[in-house]
Amino acid sequence: MDNFNNPPITNPPGGAPPENYLVWSILATIFCCIPLGIVAIIKSTKVNELWNLGDQMGALKASADAKKWTIYAAIIGPIFTIIMWVVIMFFGFAGALFDAGSY
Amino acid sequence: MQVLTKKKLIAALIVFSILGGFLLLYSFNPSTNTFFLPCPFHHLTGLNCPGCGSQRALHHLFHLEFLTAFKYNPLMVLTMPLVIYALGVTFYNFIFGTNHRLKLFYNNWFIWGFLIITVIFWILRNVPYFPFNLLAPT
Repeated sequence: MDNFNNPPITNPPGGAPPENYLVWSILATIFCCIPLGIVAIIKSTKVNELWNLGDQMGALKASADAKKWTIYAAIIGPIFTIIMWVVIMFFGFAGALFDAGSY
Repeated sequence: MQVLTKKKLIAALIVFSILGGFLLLYSFNPSTNTFFLPCPFHHLTGLNCPGCGSQRALHHLFHLEFLTAFKYNPLMVLTMPLVIYALGVTFYNFIFGTNHRLKLFYNNWFIWGFLIITVIFWILRNVPYFPFNLLAPT
């Protein structure tokens, strides 16, 4: 992130665009919590789009947004899963619904 | 100095959780052990999401049973090498404070393509007819 402390006015050719966190949104997508992963992926395309237009501030903001959504996906997904798990256990559906830990 | 130790701590934490996850998924088959967390989407709707079968697929990947893994979740298995590479780059950037970028991930054609493939995969693996039922994790 060192390069971004003093952003130049114009987009330097060959400069690294802000992190778009795409790998995390792909991970979230192929390991469930799908809707949030998709929002994060779309935010990632925004980073590239704005950067290519030379809109540095916009790209940085989109980068922060992408980070935010991947964090949401990474936190809400597992929390939701655990809540589901507890609910299933609590109502004693374990035998009926819990089909051998299918993911 | 404090930043450095914090970084080291996070790095160690990541390495340990990856190792832990690997050992857990290597030692136990999610098909026969019930303590693995099920996919909430699958439990609520009975439908398969694009990630369904990933845990079982990983278990078989770790045992080098690629075909079995592929049957559980072809999308995940195909994406895995890319994801591992990208995670490696991210981790390298984090440790050394560099700004290396994966060209492919900064190409919007690739991102939209991946998104569309994922959605199509999601729909098709819920079609209960041959050959689409092969995409569902069974």
